[in-house]
Parts: sequence; C-alpha cells; structure tokens
Amino acid sequence: MARSSSKDAQDLFRALWSAYAATPANLKVPLFPLSKLNSALFFLTPLLLFFQIIDLYVLYAVCTALIQVVYMALVGSFPFNSFLSGILSCVGTAVLAVCLRIQVNKENKEFKDLAPERAFADFVLCNLVLHLVIMNFLG
Amino acid sequence: MSKLILLFLALIPLLCSSFSPETPSDRRVLVLLDDFAVKSSHSLFFNSLKSRGFDLHFHLADDPKIALQRYGQYLYDALILFSPTIERFGGSVDAASILDFVDSGHDLIVAADSNASDLIREIATECGVDFDEDPAAMVVDHSGYAVSATEGDHTLIASDDFIKSDVILGSKKIEAILFQGIGHSLNPTNSLVLKVLSASPSAFSANPKSKVTSPPSLTGSSISLVSVIQARNNARILISGSLSMFSNRFFRSGVQKAGSPTKHEKSGNEQFLNELSKWVFHERGHLKAVNVQHHKVGEANEPAIYRIIDNLEYSVEIYEWSGTSWEPYVADDVQVQFYMMSPYVLKTLSTDGKGHYFTSFKVPDVYGVFQFKVEYEKLGYTSLSLSKQIPVRPFRHNEYERFIPAAYPYYGAAFSMMAGFFIFTAVHLYNK
Repeated sequence: MARSSSKDAQDLFRALWSAYAATPANLKVPLFPLSKLNSALFFLTPLLLFFQIIDLYVLYAVCTALIQVVYMALVGSFPFNSFLSGILSCVGTAVLAVCLRIQVNKENKEFKDLAPERAFADFVLCNLVLHLVIMNFLG
Repeated sequence: MSKLILLFLALIPLLCSSFSPETPSDRRVLVLLDDFAVKSSHSLFFNSLKSRGFDLHFHLADDPKIALQRYGQYLYDALILFSPTIERFGGSVDAASILDFVDSGHDLIVAADSNASDLIREIATECGVDFDEDPAAMVVDHSGYAVSATEGDHTLIASDDFIKSDVILGSKKIEAILFQGIGHSLNPTNSLVLKVLSASPSAFSANPKSKVTSPPSLTGSSISLVSVIQARNNARILISGSLSMFSNRFFRSGVQKAGSPTKHEKSGNEQFLNELSKWVFHERGHLKAVNVQHHKVGEANEPAIYRIIDNLEYSVEIYEWSGTSWEPYVADDVQVQFYMMSPYVLKTLSTDGKGHYFTSFKVPDVYGVFQFKVEYEKLGYTSLSLSKQIPVRPFRHNEYERFIPAAYPYYGAAFSMMAGFFIFTAVHLYNK
C-alpha cells in the first residue's frame, strides 16, 4: 500500500479545482453589471465571478448552521427545540440546494430525462414543506 | 318555681365570668392549705391576688369535700397548693386529678418546704422538676446567706440570680429574695421548664443538722429555687421550694446578702411573687393570633390556589392579653414559613405597631401543596402554632413566555433561510 504524501493531496486538490472550473456555468454570471458595484463590495467580485450562486447559497446555509452551533455551545441548549429547528432549516436548505444542483446539471447522466423546470418545482415544494415544519417546531 | 328561675338567673353571670379563651385570665382559684394559720401568715400574698380580681377559695388539703371537677366541668380555673406536708388529699383530689387539671390547660402553683411530703414531690416530678431525694435536705449557702439577727445555720439564703425575662418578672429591678427551703434540679433536655431563681454557685443541698459525709447531689447554680413550666397547651406551673418565701414575715423584712455591704429595707419577695403570679395566671405573656389572611399582590380576596412565581402577601394579627383587654403585641421576630417538607421561604414579618403583621414574597418555582406556618416560641410567651394549607400549580400552557430571548438567533436563522430561499429562487428563475 503506497503511503500518501503531501504531493498526492496537492494533486487531488488541483484535480477537484479544475473539475469544478469546468462545470457549466449556468449560474455564474451575477444579476447586475459589475461596474455598478461600489468599492466596498470589490472583495466579493472574484467570489461572484468564480463560484456559482447555488454554491454560495449552500455555503451560506452551512455557515449559518455553524454559527448556531457555536452559539449553543456558548449559551447552552435551553430551548432545545428552537436550536434543532434552526439547525434543521439550515441543513435542509443546504440539502435541497445540493439536490437541485445535481438535477439541473446537464452532464449528470442519471438525471438526463428530468427537465430542469421539474427539478426546480420539486425544489420549491420541498422548501415550502421544510419551512412549514420549521415554523411549527420553532416554538 | 319562680324561686328556682330566680336562682338560675342569678347563676348566669357566674358562668360568664369563668375562664375562657376570650378572657384567659383565671378567675376562681382553689387554695389548699395545711392549716388555716397559713391564710393569715401569708395574707399579703393572698390580698394582692384578691385585689387583682381573683376569687380565692380556701380549704384544708385533707378536707373531704374538695373537688376539682364535677360532672366533667372544672370548678376552678387555677390551683394553689400551699400544703407541703400533705400525704393524701381529701375529697376527689389526688396527684392524677391534679395532673389532669393541668393537662386541661389550667394553672398551678406548688410550694414545697423542708418537710415536703412524697405526694408533693411526686407532683413536682410529673411536672418536670426533681426535688432533692434526701427528705431532710435543705439548701444551705455559707457565702450567700441572708444576714439576720440570730446566728442561723445558713439555710436562710438571699438570692438574686433571676432569669432574664421581662415578660416573666416585669421590667423593674427586683432586690434579693429571701428563701428558706429545699432545692430542685431541672433536666437540661427539658425545653419546657425554666429556672426563674437559681441558687448561687456556693450553695448546696444537704441536711443542715448533720455533718455532710458525702458530696451533695445538688450543688451550685444548677440548684433551682423557683421554677416555672409552660406546658405545650400553654398551662403555666410555678414550683417553689419554700413556702415561707410567700409569707408576710419575708415580705416585710429587709435583706442583706452576706458579704455585701448594702442592706435593702424590703426584700424583693413581694415584687417577685406578684410579678411571677401575674405571669402564671396569664395576665402577661399570653398571645393570640387571629385573622390570618393571604392574597395575591393587587387583589383582595383569598385565592384557592396559587401559581408558581406569583407575588403574594400574608398577614396575621397578634394580640397580647394585658389582664383586662387584648393589646397589640409588638415584636420584630415573628416569622412565617412557606413550608412543604422543609421551608422554601422564611420571612420575618414586619409590624405596624398595632398588632398587624404582614409580609410579601414570591412563590417558589416548585409546585405542590404548601403550608403557611407561623411557629412562634419565645421565652415566657405562649407558643403560637398557625398553619394554613394552600396548593401551588405550575404554569398553564398559555402562561409561558411567548418568545424566548435566548432563542432569538435560532428564530433569526430560520427566517434568514426563508429569505435566502426567496432570493435564490428569484435569481435562479430570472437568470439567463
């Protein structure tokens, strides 16, 4: 068995990066022209240009979940149902976004026959049910 | 027939003036004597009682007609036993009936003397006071005796070691007391007996006529000369080891303690016994607690159940009998407990000076059946034991706080996820 080295890790990382860059960028272009952004948002432009918005959405959900976990570690889990509801909303959102991304990707052979509009409709309905559950459990 | 009705009508005021919880002072007192010479030799004491409104009935102790009760009703409110040598009482009186008399809440004064009989000693033992077992022993004090014209055997002692209690002995200073008789000891674990007059540390109890061969059993300040007992039903008993302490001769004579240069014109016997008899016959230190009220702050009626973390107010009125009327009792150490197996709340009640005691506190965060308990036991006062039960319920499901401040981040996260979802769908749909 070959011992893994740092060179292997770098190779892996480079391969993942190039694969990600090669995915069809159907959600890469931002909504508004970059020239209208004021200077405070300049650090965001490489983010917006390179990453897809759906990935940013997933990242946003995961970050919110992490913030809640840190808060619970500090303050204690007193309204535990509220904590679970907040975490579930973040995790559920992330999961549904990832599902949408998989189903919309044209290179994905498993979902060749699935129309992207159908995937989006599933995404919206699932999110509605998720948020109904969250509101009930939030207390 | 009309004579009978008249007789009956004449007896009614007699019934109204008897002992009752509304007027706790005693009225009719039975005095049992060895011989009627005591009636005149102790006339100052008896006259002071009569002048305070007591109705004294003098009988010889072996008079076959004496009875404490007839047909289940007690004929007297208090009993004074000035018969130290009596071996057997006459009539239906005996040690058991005297103890029943005390158990039913009536007061008792017992005076023993150097020739005290076994019966008197037995009555005292039942009350919690143990006289010296040696029948010939008297209290002797070679350095605390009373200086007298004749050289005595130092059995006449002058003692001023009083209990510190204004309610039992009054607030004025009392001079030394002349005492000649037997001493007794109290069991230190007995919480109901109090030593009112103790002997000095140099006193001992022995036969003055014979040589002391073995160490005496009672010595020093543990010898009590005069004791009182307040029973749990608030009956009061005075036990004294000397009958001559009550006599006119001791009341009138001056007193000088051996070793002290001052000679007082008048011994403190009269003042001491007057104040003490006021206490024994419930003219002082008798409390009653009435009108217990509790309600939620802001309301006036008494609820049947409280909720946890309610604010409530508790009030009670305490009065002290002054001999003729109920006066407001003023103290700063009456406490109320909110009790369920152990006191969850213990608060000192504040008073407005007119006998009204009140406080307010928050119901603890525990539900169950609680009691408002006032257990007041102060030296010389009757014990108050009040208890009122009240249940405490937890929150109803709509009494909790609607939004918990500690959970605001979670609320924010959930709503921000919803907002993100809306923005994302907008971007996704309208993006080319």
